[in-house]
Amino acid sequence: MSYLEYKVKTVPTGFSKVLYLNWPLILLLSAVSSVGFLMLYSVAGGNIARWSEPQMQRFVLGMIVLFIVGMVPIWFWRNLSVLAYLGSILLLLAVELVGAIGMGAQRWIDIGPLRLQPSELSKITLVMMLAAYYDWLDPKKVSHPFWVLVPVALILAPTALTLIQPDLGTAILLLAGGGIVMFCAGVSWWYFGTVIAAGVGAVWAVLASRGTPWQLIKDYQFRRIDTFLDPSQDPLGAGYHITQANIALGSGGFSGRGFMQGTQSRLNFLPEKHTDFIFTVLAEEFGFVGAFSLLVLYGLIIFFCIASAMTMKDRYSALLTYGIAATFFLYFAVNMSMVMGLAPVVGVPLPLVSYGGSAMLVLLAAFGLVQSACVHRPRGR
Amino acid sequence: MIRTPLRPLPQILAARARGQNPDAIERENLRLRHEETRDAERERAEGRLLVLGIFFLCAFVLVGGRMGTLAASDPEEPRAQVPGASILAQRADIVDRSGRILATNLTTHSLYAQPPIMVDPLRAAEELATIFPDLDVERLKKDFTGGRKFLWIKKKISPEQQQAVHDIGEPGLLFGPREMRLYPNGSLASHVLGGAGFGREGVHSAEVIGVAGVEKTFDDYLRDPAHGGAPLQLSIDLSVQAVTEEVLNGGMKLMNAKGAAAILMDVHTGEILSLASLPDFDPNDRPVPLTKGDAADSPLFNRAVQGVYELGSTFKILTVAQAMELGLVNPGTVIDTKGPLRWGRHRIRDFRNYGDALTVEQIIVKSSNIGTARVAMMLGGDRQRAFLDRLGFLKPTKVELVEAGAGRPLIPSNWSEISTMTISYGHGLSASPLHLATAYASVLNGGRLVRPTLVKRDSPAEGERVVSEETSRVARQLLRKVVTEGTASFGEVRGYEVGGKTGTADKPTPQGGYYDDKVIATFASVFPASDPKYVLVVVLDEPVETSGKEPRRTAGWTAVPVAAEIIRRTAPLLGLAPVIESRAGNGITLASNR
Repeated sequence: MSYLEYKVKTVPTGFSKVLYLNWPLILLLSAVSSVGFLMLYSVAGGNIARWSEPQMQRFVLGMIVLFIVGMVPIWFWRNLSVLAYLGSILLLLAVELVGAIGMGAQRWIDIGPLRLQPSELSKITLVMMLAAYYDWLDPKKVSHPFWVLVPVALILAPTALTLIQPDLGTAILLLAGGGIVMFCAGVSWWYFGTVIAAGVGAVWAVLASRGTPWQLIKDYQFRRIDTFLDPSQDPLGAGYHITQANIALGSGGFSGRGFMQGTQSRLNFLPEKHTDFIFTVLAEEFGFVGAFSLLVLYGLIIFFCIASAMTMKDRYSALLTYGIAATFFLYFAVNMSMVMGLAPVVGVPLPLVSYGGSAMLVLLAAFGLVQSACVHRPRGR
Repeated sequence: MIRTPLRPLPQILAARARGQNPDAIERENLRLRHEETRDAERERAEGRLLVLGIFFLCAFVLVGGRMGTLAASDPEEPRAQVPGASILAQRADIVDRSGRILATNLTTHSLYAQPPIMVDPLRAAEELATIFPDLDVERLKKDFTGGRKFLWIKKKISPEQQQAVHDIGEPGLLFGPREMRLYPNGSLASHVLGGAGFGREGVHSAEVIGVAGVEKTFDDYLRDPAHGGAPLQLSIDLSVQAVTEEVLNGGMKLMNAKGAAAILMDVHTGEILSLASLPDFDPNDRPVPLTKGDAADSPLFNRAVQGVYELGSTFKILTVAQAMELGLVNPGTVIDTKGPLRWGRHRIRDFRNYGDALTVEQIIVKSSNIGTARVAMMLGGDRQRAFLDRLGFLKPTKVELVEAGAGRPLIPSNWSEISTMTISYGHGLSASPLHLATAYASVLNGGRLVRPTLVKRDSPAEGERVVSEETSRVARQLLRKVVTEGTASFGEVRGYEVGGKTGTADKPTPQGGYYDDKVIATFASVFPASDPKYVLVVVLDEPVETSGKEPRRTAGWTAVPVAAEIIRRTAPLLGLAPVIESRAGNGITLASNR
C-alpha cells in the first residue's frame, strides 16, 4: 500500500530540499569518518599520504554521492530497486568469472580505475529489493508461506554468491540484514523461531561435520571458531589477532596512551591494523573513553535513522531506512565483537573508519537513500 | 456525521432521502477502513520495532560492557613477536666455558614484493635499484608488471636499507623478519661451531638450522624452546682457542705446511679447551663445499676430527705403556735393536742406527722403531688390538661434532704380525689427532679412560681404568725424558715440565706406497709431567723447515716448536703457575746461581 502517488504535491521540491535533509545524521557520519582519518594517520606513523588522504578523497566523493542520491525522489529509487538488485547479482557473478584475486578471497572487480567490491554493494541493493517487495505486497499476505519464500530466495541468492567467494562476513551481514527487514515488515514470529532453531541445528551439524568427508566449512574457518572459543590455545597462530587486540585494548586503559602513542598497533604487532582491526588502534590510543565515544556516535546514527523512519508514511521508505540502519548496525557490532573477542574473526570492516573505498562509498550512498526518504516524506497534510 | 452503509438498496434510498450523497459516504467508509488497517499495521510495526530496539540495546550494552572490562584489564606489555613466530623460535646462544658469546642471533629483515597491490611498480623498481645497486632495474620492472603475485627481492637487508625501502612508500614492498645466526668472533673456533643456514622459509620468518659442527649436533637442543633460551655452554675457552689458532697459523706458515691441527684437552675430564684446524673459514659466510678434488683440501675439512693420519712414533709410548702394565718390561729392560729387523719380505729400520741394544727408556727417548716392534712382539697382536680398542682407536670418536663420524680410523683388515709391529710405532693404522689426544689423556692422567667432549663438565668423569697409576707415572717420566734429552728438545718450556712424543710419518701415495718428501709431523704432549693437567696434540701436514742446509721435515724440527709456543702462551691463561723442577739425583740445593 503506497501513499506516495497522491501525496506528491506536499513533498518539498527544488533547492528547498536541502533544508529538509537530515542534517544531524550528516554531521554524525562526518564525525565518524573523521575519527577514521585520524586513526589512519596515526597507524601510518604520521604519514597522511599513505591511508588518510585517499580515505578523505573517498569521503568527499561519497558525500557528493550522498547529496545527489538524497536529492533524487525516493520513488525513483523504489522503481530502480529491482534493477539495482539484479545488477548487483550480476556483478557478484562477474566477480566469480573475472574478479581479481586479493588476499586469498575473490572479491573485487576492476571497472576502469574503480575497484568495486560487489559484495558491499549487494548489502544495500538487497535491502532496497526487500523494501520494494514489501511495499508492493499486500500487508495481509506477508506471513503466507509462498510470500515468505520469495524474500527468502531474494536473500539467499546474494548470500550464496558471497559465501563461495568466500566472504563469510558479508554473507552473515546479508542474511541478518535481510532477516531484520523481513521482521520489520511483519512476518510472523513463527518463521523466525523456526529459522533460529534451524540455525542452532545447523551450527551443531557444522561442528559435528568436522573431520568427516562431508565437512561443511573449510579448515581455516574451523580454526577461527576454535580460536574464538579459546584464543590462548594458539596465541601465535590463528589466535594472534584476538590476543594482540585484547592486549591493545587492555593497554589503552581508561583514557588511552594518547594520540600517536599506541605501541601495539604502531609497532606492527597487528596485521590488517588499518582495515578490519583499526578499532584496536583507537582503543589503545584513546582508551575506553575513545572507544565508547565511537560506539555512542554509531548508536546516535542508528537512533536518528529509526527516528526518521518512524515518521515516514510509506512502507518502502520506512523499511529501507530500517534495513540500512540494521545493516550499518551489523557492520560495527560484528566488527567490534570480533575485535574484542565476542565473535569469531570474520572479515567485516569498521564502517566509515576502516580503510577501504567500496564500503565507504556504498555506505554513504545508502545514507543518501535514507536522506532521500527523509526529504521526500509527505508533509503538512 | 451519521454513517450508513450504502448497501442494501433501501439504505441508499434512505440516505438520499436525508439529502446525503451515498457515493461520498462510500468513499468515506473506505478511507476509514484503510486507516484502521494502517493503524493496526503501525501498532504491529511498532511492536516489532520495540523488539528490534531491545535487541540493538542489548548489543550496545554487550559491546560497551566488553570495552569496559577490557579497558579495566591489566595492561600487558606488547610482545616482541610477530605472526608466524612459531617457526621463528629463538635459537639458543652458544657460549664458551666462561660464558663469552660464540654464537648468537641477529634480527634482520627480508624484502619481498606483492606486485598485485603495488601502486606504482615502475617507480618502485627504479627506487629499489638505487638502494640495491646489484639489482637489475629492467628485470625488476618486468617482474613487477608481469603478473607475478609474489617475489623475493632480498633475503637479508640492513636496517638502513630497510628504512630506505620503507621511505619509497610502496605498499607492495613488504618486509619479513629474519633471524640470522651471528658469530661475533668471525673465524675463531669455526670448526667447532660449524655454522647455520636457513631451512624452511616463509614470508614472516625463516627457520635457522645448524649445518655443521656443534650447531648441527645440538640443533634440536638449540631450537627447543623448553630450555627457555639457556645458552649451550661449550668446554672451549675463547682466549685459549684464540692463542692456539694464532700460534698454529704462524707455525703452519713458518713450516710451509699446507694444513695444521691442534687439540688442547683437559686430561681428567676429556674437555676440549681448544680445537683448531687450518685452513679455516668464517662461519658467518660459509664457503661452498668443493664439488671436485679432495674434500680434505676444503677449508671446511676438520683435520683435528675428520682427518685420519698415520700418527707415527707417538704410538710408541702406548705400546711401551701396555707392555709395562703387563709386567713384560720396565724402563731398564734391554731390548735388541740390531737393524734392520727383517720380517718376511719386510724390513724395519730406524731413523739412525742406535746400536745393538737399548733400554726401553732409550727406545722411547731415541724413538727406535726396531725396539718398539720387538716390544710389540712380546705383546702379540690380540692384546695390542684389545688395548687400542679400549683407547678408542678402532672407532670414530664420540665427540659432539657431526664431522666426527667421518673420522673413522683405517685399520688393517688382517691384524698380522707385521701389522702388530708397524702399528706399535704408528704406521699401518690411521686415526685422527683427536683419537691420539684422547688416548694420551687416558693413559697419562693416572690411567683412567676419558671421553672427548666439547661440552663443559662440572666434575671429572671417573672412567674405567686402562693402566695403573704407576704405569701412567712412569710413562710420563719417559715422555719428560724425550723433551729433556731426546727428539723433542725444542719442546721444553721452562716451568711447565712438558713431556711428549714426536711422530713423523711419511704420507701414503694414492698408489699405495709412501712419499719420500711428504710427511705428517705430530707432537703429542702432556704438561706438567709430574702433575698432569693438559694434553696438547699438534699435527702439521707436509711441513718443511728450510732454515738449515737441508730441508727438515721431522716433527722435532716442525711440530714441536709450534706446540712449545702454544704451551708457553696458553699455560698462563689456563691458570698454571710455572714451577722450578728439582734436579733429579741431586739432593743438595746449591747456593750459587748456575
